[in-house]
Amino acid sequence: MAQTIAEKILSRAVGRTVRVGEIIYPEPDLVTVHDWYVVNFDKALQDLGVTRLYAPDKVLISTDHEPVAVSVLAAERQRQVRHIVAKYGIKHFFDTGRGGHGHLFPMELGYIKPGMFVLAYDVHANNFGALGCLAIPLVVEITDVLACGSVWLKVPETVRINLKGSMRPGITLRDVADRMIADVGADTADYTVMEFGGPAMGSIGIDGRMTLNNRPIEIGVKSTVFETDAVTFEYLKGRVPPPYQELKPDPGAAYKAAFDYDLGILEPQVAAPPTPDNVVPVSQVAGRKVDHAFIGSCANSSISDLRDAARILKGRKIAPGVRFVVTPGTQLIQAQAAAEGLLAIFTEAGAMLTAPGCGPCAGGRTLPLAKGEVSINTGTRNDHGRLGPREAEIYLGSPFTVAASAVAGKIVDPREFL
Amino acid sequence: MNFTYKGRCWKFGDDIGVDGDLMPLEFAIQRETRIEVLSPNTFKGVDPTFAGKAKPGDIVVGGKRFAQGNPHIQGLLGLRGLGLGLVVESIPRGSLRNAVNAGVPILPACKDVTKSVETGDELEVDFASGAFRNLTRGVTLQFQPLEQTLRDIIAIGGWRPALEKRIAAMGLRR
Repeated sequence: MAQTIAEKILSRAVGRTVRVGEIIYPEPDLVTVHDWYVVNFDKALQDLGVTRLYAPDKVLISTDHEPVAVSVLAAERQRQVRHIVAKYGIKHFFDTGRGGHGHLFPMELGYIKPGMFVLAYDVHANNFGALGCLAIPLVVEITDVLACGSVWLKVPETVRINLKGSMRPGITLRDVADRMIADVGADTADYTVMEFGGPAMGSIGIDGRMTLNNRPIEIGVKSTVFETDAVTFEYLKGRVPPPYQELKPDPGAAYKAAFDYDLGILEPQVAAPPTPDNVVPVSQVAGRKVDHAFIGSCANSSISDLRDAARILKGRKIAPGVRFVVTPGTQLIQAQAAAEGLLAIFTEAGAMLTAPGCGPCAGGRTLPLAKGEVSINTGTRNDHGRLGPREAEIYLGSPFTVAASAVAGKIVDPREFL
Repeated sequence: MNFTYKGRCWKFGDDIGVDGDLMPLEFAIQRETRIEVLSPNTFKGVDPTFAGKAKPGDIVVGGKRFAQGNPHIQGLLGLRGLGLGLVVESIPRGSLRNAVNAGVPILPACKDVTKSVETGDELEVDFASGAFRNLTRGVTLQFQPLEQTLRDIIAIGGWRPALEKRIAAMGLRR
């Protein structure tokens, strides 16, 4: 039977050919949980009388949502997380100041490879789809997986995206990804896996593939996954021992829908409040005064994103009255940005650097907005209240657009600055 | 568990939000999960008198993207507390999981069902077989039922009792 990539990975995970729509209990190769749910799952397991994890050697915990404890409460939670990790013998623990963002560093450090199946506490773990890994987010049911090794999943339909064309100057994959989720829409995307391939795929690096994977979650997909190619295998070299599985869908695999998507969109895009798929050309919101700007989050905190921001900021200053935050995704990205001189450019421009991880995007626990303020950032969500008060506006855009707007003090088309 | 519900139809349109329409958002923010607290507030955003009128065994019939929005379970727990069944044209992934986890009997994919009912009709729905009868209008429809595995989770009362049973069966409790 001809299969999509998701069907292949789930079939391998359960040891037989799966059918779309059936309920399965696949065991993951890796389970990831972030710092804000560790105390919760420990309490749930205690209530249930469970004292051991099903596979503690397959669990990875990262302190990325609140790496810098700025309250005694947060320091106490970090202490409890360390204790819980030790209690259950969890093998892979990346404490504050170690890995960085849990949706990025596992790829850098060789935990993720093509064909893997991951279950994760947190919605954007499908970043791992950039390497041909199927990562499915869960919320409370991560407890089932930790205790019993699996949880029910319905084998999803797949939506195919064939990438073609090439990007125009000043346009980034963030612009393309935001435009694409608005064009595909929630009705088509819900409960599906979005599979990427097509003739333009080879022009997109792993950083850009992460951004393309990251955005469709906002329109209800279960996960996202890229085909593998030479770019994938080049990235894996030196991180994961070979051999590497080549992953392509079978000819004749059945899709819920298939789209050719052209990278050649005409104008930078911005997601206006109150939802990430409320995407408009930047000219429609240009001129809006901003108080807060931020480069980071699991959508856009790679070295490519920091280079884009630095290209705008070099020799320029952040506008008076604007606070500007840069959060490198991982410790390694931060080190590379330092080596390339990017951190110096940010510092010179008037930026604040925060510890690798989610940065302000994690609910505005650090560097939130005040009532009535406006932010433009590369984060994942722009719901009212995402960065603190409900009475604030959040616009989402590319690293170019965010950096240029921070310099201008208002939302601008970044192509004027390139 | 009896999977046949016979009761009054409560019809809602497309895009009923899980936060705001089905349940005030504040309960999700407070992580409130006590059914007795939640159920009197069910559908408060659409019809503040709903909880006082609906009776156990009644059936909510929703349009497309029922319970859309952030996948908060509170609205589904409210339906469970009132003893209601749920028949919808479509429901987003997170809210379908939450309906199962809350123990709400559901037919999740009933194309055009809202065209065959009005609020106040007498309905009989077998959630195990997918048989849907509008007794008032003499209409019989057949839909795809939820998979047996998921009906078993609903029958035992939702996520927590189902997980307790699985943990006991695997001998994990110490």
